[in-house]
Amino acid sequence: MFTHFRSVATLIALACATVASDSSAAGLATPWQVDLQPAASPVAEQIQSFNAILFTMEALITLGVLGLMGFIIWRFNAKRNPVPNKRTHNTALEVLWTVVPILILVVIAFPSLRLLFFMDRTFDADMTIKVVGHQWYWSYEYPDHGDFTFDSVMIPDDELKPGQPRLLAVDNPVVVPVGVNVRVLLTSDDVIHSWAVPSLGLKTDTVPGRTNETWVRVNEEGTYYGMCSELCGVNHGYMPVAVKAVSKAEFDVWSKNAKQEFADNGASTTRVVQAPREVSPREVSQ
Amino acid sequence: MSAAHHPTGWRRWVYSTNHKDIGTMYIVLSMIGAIIGGGMSWYIRLELAQPGIQFIDDTQLYNVMVTAHGFLMVFFVVMPAMIGGFGNWFVPLMIGAPDMSFPRMNNISFWLLAAALVLLVLAGVTGGGPGTGWTVYPPLSSATYHPGPAVDLAILSLHVAGASSILGAINLITTIVNMRAPGMTMHRAPLFVWAILVTAFLLLLAIPVLAGALTMLLTDRNFGTTFFVPEGGGDPILWQHLFWFFGHPEVYIIIIPAFGIISQIIATFSKKPVFGYLGMAYAMCAIGFVGFVVWAHHMYTVGLDVNTRAYFVLATMVIAVPTGIKIFSWLATMWGGSIELKTPMLFATGFIALFVAGGVTGVVLSNAGMDVALHDTYYVVAHFHYVLSIAAVFAMYAGFYYWIGKMSGRQYSETLGKIHFWASFVGVNLLFFPQHFLGAAGMPRRIPDYPDAYAGWNMVSSVGALITAIGTFFFLYIVWHTLTRGRAAEANPWGVGATTLEWTVPSPAPFHTHEDLPKIEAAQGVE
Amino acid sequence: MTNRRHIYTAASLFLLVAGMVGLAFASVPLYRLFCQVTGFGGTPRVATGGLSTGTDSSDRQITVRFDSNVNSALPWRFKPVLRQTSVRIGEEKLALFTAENIGEKAATGTASFNVTPYKAARYFAKVQCFCFEEQRLEAGQKVDMPVSFFVDPEILDDPNARDVSTITLSYTFFPAEPEGDANSW
Repeated sequence: MFTHFRSVATLIALACATVASDSSAAGLATPWQVDLQPAASPVAEQIQSFNAILFTMEALITLGVLGLMGFIIWRFNAKRNPVPNKRTHNTALEVLWTVVPILILVVIAFPSLRLLFFMDRTFDADMTIKVVGHQWYWSYEYPDHGDFTFDSVMIPDDELKPGQPRLLAVDNPVVVPVGVNVRVLLTSDDVIHSWAVPSLGLKTDTVPGRTNETWVRVNEEGTYYGMCSELCGVNHGYMPVAVKAVSKAEFDVWSKNAKQEFADNGASTTRVVQAPREVSPREVSQ
Repeated sequence: MSAAHHPTGWRRWVYSTNHKDIGTMYIVLSMIGAIIGGGMSWYIRLELAQPGIQFIDDTQLYNVMVTAHGFLMVFFVVMPAMIGGFGNWFVPLMIGAPDMSFPRMNNISFWLLAAALVLLVLAGVTGGGPGTGWTVYPPLSSATYHPGPAVDLAILSLHVAGASSILGAINLITTIVNMRAPGMTMHRAPLFVWAILVTAFLLLLAIPVLAGALTMLLTDRNFGTTFFVPEGGGDPILWQHLFWFFGHPEVYIIIIPAFGIISQIIATFSKKPVFGYLGMAYAMCAIGFVGFVVWAHHMYTVGLDVNTRAYFVLATMVIAVPTGIKIFSWLATMWGGSIELKTPMLFATGFIALFVAGGVTGVVLSNAGMDVALHDTYYVVAHFHYVLSIAAVFAMYAGFYYWIGKMSGRQYSETLGKIHFWASFVGVNLLFFPQHFLGAAGMPRRIPDYPDAYAGWNMVSSVGALITAIGTFFFLYIVWHTLTRGRAAEANPWGVGATTLEWTVPSPAPFHTHEDLPKIEAAQGVE
Repeated sequence: MTNRRHIYTAASLFLLVAGMVGLAFASVPLYRLFCQVTGFGGTPRVATGGLSTGTDSSDRQITVRFDSNVNSALPWRFKPVLRQTSVRIGEEKLALFTAENIGEKAATGTASFNVTPYKAARYFAKVQCFCFEEQRLEAGQKVDMPVSFFVDPEILDDPNARDVSTITLSYTFFPAEPEGDANSW
């Protein structure tokens, strides 16, 4: 019965997704989308399948209660039932409606914790990148590839090239190779931000004075977008995340070039009392 | 003392020690808060109706509106209406007491809240305003990133509001514990009284923690302490723990009185006592208690240990059980009853359906793995607006229609009430349901502009906001219409289903009631 | 109607409120203590005396990476000498960081630190490090900062943490100026 639910749920979810979204674009939302973005990493895939279970449960419960209430209002309307009964107890019923919710929750808890522990797994990561949140942009460091660092700043509206999504495109996306376990270290240089990429199943807050760690393996080449997910000041809505996944060969070429193109990590930390970069909304929305 | 002897003019209100008058003032304050807070949300929805920036050039102002909207709705709309307003009015009436235990402290509680509202408005207009969200996370709320008086004024406002709530809670508990009429054991007290009692205890345990955290933030900002400053060995995450230790019980403080109101109304309009009275009373206690040990489900992405997160997932799911018991008990109350769908009952049944919808999305969010996709997105906004802005507000409307005859002596027009219900029902669902889609698709919270893909559902949501706004103004018209043109209300307009003590006194309730204590011989029709 | 019973009730409730306020302030040291004891949030242990004699160090190797951050208000360059090192579980090892003041004036810094993944933190013990003192560097001065640490073999008994193969020790240097953040109205 459990697998039956899952396939029904998947069918419903698929139907919704197909009906509502143009599923040709991965890595960002599509107009009128009702469901999660297509999954592009193992974690995101597990989130999707767990969501199918949750969605089925919640839809059934909500519609069930709504339906039951509709029936009750109709059947026990004053005209149809002028004399109310005085029943206020039914032990069997009370036990049933305590135990059945508990069972439903237990059924949810198992895949839930499995997903949680899978996200937290630490195994051999093939490389590490570091994400630093700033007001109002991200910077990325590559400690294993020559220790270079660069900033990733949103492209303002008036500088967008055709095909670049507004409020999501950046000048320098963070580049990672596909099929490779990447350890991600995260911190912040000023206030709390949050580094999120929905299609990769990523969201980790960046807290100053503290390093958080997560991991990702991107399944396919492509560019995957996200947005800062913790209120961080006036340009909170203008510091997107862009992850560009390329083949291993292409990544090797890119990282060698990047090491020469971007300032060496040592030099970058020599920025002396730099004022936060202002990307005023006026600039952005012109 | 003669029953006719009571102060008049402005002194009657400013110096009031009468629980009914003070209740009325709380309700008026709540309406003022609703107009300001609602106005802000409509302005926000106006901006978000289309992609691009149309009206709110100044993003700090946008963030301040988001912040003020949250503070206003929580502290200056829902809490004063349910606890200060209906609590003050009907707890003494329902337990057969002539007034509250400490009538003068009751007065201070109200005026403290009024002062707090003024302070909050001041905070919004000084020094750029607090653009931190109602959660006020440092370092964004620290002096480095929010210099000036705005956040300090907001902190002060919350301190004063907190003091008001604490004094009010002490008053309510002392009244309920000590002033029940002879024969009214706790197990004969109406469920609304139980709800207020549980809520008052939650207030006493939660607000002081907020006060402590606020004080630490204030000293960090102004006196060089480093509680939340990493440079000084502090931790911004400590703020989050303290805030949410208060913040989560706070949402139960908001909803439990609503549970009480709904119980009274469902019983009245089904002409049956509430099913499983003891289960209902103890479910509220359980919800209140468990509500204190689940706070970190608001913090799943900050970097908590995996076992910690696992614990909070399980603890949070536990709350669904007593809540489910309540939902099923209300349905069982209606089952076999003789239901009249008058306006209070419409709002109460709407509450049940929509609270369940909001509740199940809460269960979705309680799963830390799932929350990685949904944290800080519009899915969360949809969830809490369903349980607060829809369910709690419906309970407030339900209470208004149920009790306005008793409070004012004039009854509302049933036709107008039904129009208000349907307009609100359509409006709020159009407003908030699409936000689930936006959140699932990845739209974050607290942003003034969004990638173009989110435009469709945002427009639908803003249309819903427009309809809701019309519904709200229509409600204000109904209030005016009722108070000026409503027909005279009888002592009990609801018939045999209304079995609690407030229906035994005239409408409007006289200035002094229960001066001779009633004797309670049997259960109050709730068992 | 303010009789004695009411005063008693109100007084006990006030005490409850006072207790909760006290608890809120007590949370500050309790939080720190809790993190130190459990290692939650990536708080490493501080070993006062190094490995106790008789502790078996195992043959299993574990990789320890070093991460460094400098707050942009502090004009220093701060890097580990080696990005990562391999160490036997139970073996004490020394790692070096270099800090250089590349600004024009003397500057004092303090460091905060944590270990990831969090579940490994309670098994990561620092014997000697620079983290508890303020470090003052003259303009242009460069110093070596040592950290002596070991990974406690008890990690192998923890089913959760047993699979950890890489631990990252992360430091962040901040300016230590006392006049930092006082508000200005």
